Amino acid sequence: MDRIVEHLWIIPALPLLAAGIIALLKRPHRKAAAALAIGSLGLAFLVSCVAFAATLHPAAGAGTVRLTHNFAWFDLGESTLRLGWLLDPLTAGMLVMVTFVGSLIFVFSVGYMAHDPNFTRFFGFLSLFAAAMLGLLVANNLLFLFMCWEVVGLASYLLIGFWFQKPEAAAAAKKAFVTTRIGDLGFFLGMVWLYHGTGTLLFYDKGAGCLEQGAIASLVAQTTLGGMAVSTAISLLLFCGAAGKSGQVPLHVWLPDAMEGPTPVSALIHAATMVAAGVFLVARVFPLLGASAAGLPADGHVPHTAALAVVTWIGAITAVFGALVAVAQSDIKRILAYSTVSQLGYMMMGLGVGGPAVGMFHLLAHAFFKALLFLGAGSVIHGCHGEQDIRRMGGLRKAMPATFATYAVGMMALAGFPLVFSGFWSKDEILHAALAWSPSRLPFALGLFGAFLTAFYMIRQMWFVFFAPSAHPAARHGHDTRPDAAAPHDSPPVMTVSLAILAGATVAMSLLATPVWPWFHAYLGGHLDHLHVGWDADGAVLATMALSTVAVALGTGVSWRLYSRSATGTDAVERLVPRLFGALRGRLYVDGFYAATVFRLNRAAATAFDWIDRFVWGSLAGSTAWIATGFSWLGRLLDDAGINPGFDAGCAGTRGTGRLVSLFQNGQTQRYLRLVGGGIVAIVVAVAWTGKK
Amino acid sequence: MNVDHARLLGLLAPECLVVFTALAALFADLRFWKHRTPGQRSHRTAIVLTLGFGAAATLLGLMGNTTANLAGGTLVLSPLSQHLKIVLLLFAIVTAWLCTETRFTRHVGEFMALLGLATAGMMFLVGTENLLMVFVALELVSLSLYAMTAFDKRSPRSAEAALRYFLFGGTAAAFTLFGFSLFYGVGGSIHLPTLAVSIARHAGDPLVLVAIVFVLAGFGFKIAAVPFHAWAPDAYEGAPAPTAAFIASGSKIAGFLVLGKLLQVGLPAAAGSGAWKAFAPGWMAVVALLAAASMVFGNLAALAQTNLRRLLAYSAIAHAGYALLALVGGSQPALLYFVVTYALAVVGMFGVVAVVENRTGNGSIAGLAGLRERSPLLAGVTTVFLLSLAGIPPLAGFLGKFLAFVAAAKQGTALGYGWLVALALGMSCVSLYYYLQVLKQVWVVPAETRDPLRGGTVVGGLLAALAVAVVVAGCMPEPLLDFLR
Repeated sequence: MDRIVEHLWIIPALPLLAAGIIALLKRPHRKAAAALAIGSLGLAFLVSCVAFAATLHPAAGAGTVRLTHNFAWFDLGESTLRLGWLLDPLTAGMLVMVTFVGSLIFVFSVGYMAHDPNFTRFFGFLSLFAAAMLGLLVANNLLFLFMCWEVVGLASYLLIGFWFQKPEAAAAAKKAFVTTRIGDLGFFLGMVWLYHGTGTLLFYDKGAGCLEQGAIASLVAQTTLGGMAVSTAISLLLFCGAAGKSGQVPLHVWLPDAMEGPTPVSALIHAATMVAAGVFLVARVFPLLGASAAGLPADGHVPHTAALAVVTWIGAITAVFGALVAVAQSDIKRILAYSTVSQLGYMMMGLGVGGPAVGMFHLLAHAFFKALLFLGAGSVIHGCHGEQDIRRMGGLRKAMPATFATYAVGMMALAGFPLVFSGFWSKDEILHAALAWSPSRLPFALGLFGAFLTAFYMIRQMWFVFFAPSAHPAARHGHDTRPDAAAPHDSPPVMTVSLAILAGATVAMSLLATPVWPWFHAYLGGHLDHLHVGWDADGAVLATMALSTVAVALGTGVSWRLYSRSATGTDAVERLVPRLFGALRGRLYVDGFYAATVFRLNRAAATAFDWIDRFVWGSLAGSTAWIATGFSWLGRLLDDAGINPGFDAGCAGTRGTGRLVSLFQNGQTQRYLRLVGGGIVAIVVAVAWTGKK
Repeated sequence: MNVDHARLLGLLAPECLVVFTALAALFADLRFWKHRTPGQRSHRTAIVLTLGFGAAATLLGLMGNTTANLAGGTLVLSPLSQHLKIVLLLFAIVTAWLCTETRFTRHVGEFMALLGLATAGMMFLVGTENLLMVFVALELVSLSLYAMTAFDKRSPRSAEAALRYFLFGGTAAAFTLFGFSLFYGVGGSIHLPTLAVSIARHAGDPLVLVAIVFVLAGFGFKIAAVPFHAWAPDAYEGAPAPTAAFIASGSKIAGFLVLGKLLQVGLPAAAGSGAWKAFAPGWMAVVALLAAASMVFGNLAALAQTNLRRLLAYSAIAHAGYALLALVGGSQPALLYFVVTYALAVVGMFGVVAVVENRTGNGSIAGLAGLRERSPLLAGVTTVFLLSLAGIPPLAGFLGKFLAFVAAAKQGTALGYGWLVALALGMSCVSLYYYLQVLKQVWVVPAETRDPLRGGTVVGGLLAALAVAVVVAGCMPEPLLDFLR
């Protein structure tokens, strides 16, 4: 067991190695790059499975499996910075999910990016991303997690802006980077504060880690501004980072724009894995968020703390906000992006009301079906030659049967169709926990409304893409001969196979967390040995299931009725409530609001500083310069009088000779400097070699 | 860290005076003497500098045994630092007077101002135990010296030498700074004694070793030790003679002092060993390697030179090797005595070079032919300086080498550094050849012309005084040794 956790670094190291090698490959080596990336991640998947297996059998009476391996990284004066790897069910589950989904998406990318000239670079970036994401998961140190977190952000930036020649893509990449950075500032401050308060950033360190009893008790005991416990303040700062990464309101604005990247990127990074990193972070530091004067949160019991309340409310608001905006979008990927925002809100809400098991199960389930949906969307876009507007699709059910079938599975999972789809069970758990949340019932109501909306907008999208009368010119006229207007076609097997596997996983996942056999809860909570098949849920579970089923059915019915009867052209909802639809289409004007406030404030500040720079400091510098000018003017008077007419000629001659000599001597200094470099290397080697004896 | 600014100003009065003098010389030259001939201007500015620097030196003499440690080692005063500052000021004065012997520029005021700034930088360098301050002062010195090297704008060689010097200096500064940052990373402090305590706990750390090599690379540049010496021959040849003299004297004294302080105060725990068959990683091992390489390369390369300045450059490289021997020996008085007496001789030699080049325009060794007849004074002082450099008793150079070699021989157990001392002795013998080659020109080879060759009165006097100092320091070393203790 210890051997496994000691070598946990292999999992992120494999894709990192691949990224490094791919970075050195030349453009034409496409096959090698793809093989390296897929191979390394596939291997990482196998290693992850081994690690996962190790967490399945806790030692008797030990509760959760939590293996750590800490080691000193470097010394800074008196203090030693220690890093470590951590293997617990949370890490293991995420590792398997990320490597599995990642491998499938890598395979899919081979088909999707087949025509891209920068194919090699793409796989390099993907591998870098995978390495950072996996590093983030195995970290047992908040600093290391943060470092990987930032590399993940970098990879995301590079991949969103992969088609940097498109101005929108470049702008979206920048937006994503800057927006998440605002959250990261909070994360960083929280981390610094945590280090200040506990003196360590290791999560678990045999009782001395920052998430263990001693450290948290001291943080809870201290209070800061307005009587808030320090632990709460740190939690909220860390949540800022999580909110930025996971697209929570009000930092969600970057996520829909991130869809400018290639679709596999959207699937992997902006749906399945990276955006879930924020949720993962909250789950990881859950002991801190859930800490109260009563102590650490115990298994199966979620305390009501201020930090968790904030998480719950933000999550609930985000869930409804994302769903609302998704109703009025017409870009196939944007709809999915807003649905991701909404689902991330559910996850956060789940964490807040139900603890890690509830939130994380939705995360894992969502990762599979959202990756499936995005890849399906990619397949649709690929088949429609780059068309992304759902109003100009239609009738693809017949043209792309494989895509349609798998997309339908993903759609039903996302909308939460009952019983055989993972989304149903995971969302149901969140709603059930929200119902039991004593401070307020409003989050539950919001969640239910969100479920209705989710079904509504997904049916709307399905209808436009697959069922509506075809809007394609080739299908309409049948005699269009332009090559780019060829009829839609289904994608090659390399893409559809990934879709099918993901669809299978989506259905399979539903078996893991039913009330009959709540395996996942038991796994995360560390009581697998008490797990048994049987119905021991209370009536509230049934009630929630019924209510959410009704919400889904209602959403489906209303949506189908509205759209199947409407003529093409304007949107059915738009005809009904044009002003509301306009507001939703305008994303509730959040972006506009930022442009009018934050950007304007920023610009005003910049102008003010510019003014200060010019006039205050500038005049200071100017007066200094003026004095100097006075002196030099004096000097110049003297100089002019004394100038020798031959001096200029002499100067020109000197310059000429200088040029000649420098031409002659060119390269020598470099050679000398090379000697210096060689000398240093030789000395280091010599000294190190003598030291070996 | 509370700093008493009034006290700081009081203790820094000599430095302030130096800077003020430099600016005063610049101002006076530009304001009042613009219309004079360069000769007159250089005389007047040299007088200003002499007065100002002399006053600063007097002030330092009056401060005598003051000791102070301000702002956490940023400014550290001790009797030794006062004395070294006096020595540096004296060399700066000699350099200023060498300017009166050459006509390399019309912008005398600027040159003198740079000289003053470089001197101030060296004084700061001597009086600090703070790595950051060391670096800043080092840069002040270096930047001034680069500009001073490039000052002969009519000579392409000067520009080329300055550029090379600058490129090397930049690289070296980068290495130094990198090394310092590693020290800081490992030790968590930039205050040398504090650093020493924490480095002691990380003595075997490879990072410390890398930092040592980097810092030694940076200082190796400053003191022209092989393999960081390549700039020296060009700089010595291309720079104006006063600049070359100052690079060879003041800059070297300050460089060796700081290097010695850094290694002996800051890194006593990371010494390692360079003893025969007992090599242990640490600065001793690196310094021993540098010393051996410098002595061998410098002396052998000097054999082939025909230009007097280049010969002096290679001799300087060889002397850097000897001085590193004193550093290995761990004897600060020996190191400082060696470096100061070497500086006396080499400044004198550059004085001779300045006079001869200025009068004959010939910088080759053959240009000294018949000096015996043309200028008995110059012939005499050249003999004293070169024999001192060669290490002939009873001149100061002999005793300097003797002290350095003995210190190295005593270091370690069972003559562990005997190999280094033996090498040094052998290479000293080799060096005698090329010094005597020069003296052969001076005394034996007849001149083409018998025109008398005369320098300025003041410079002549200074050269004579330097020669006397070399003899006296060799015959009666105790006063100087005490002064540097």
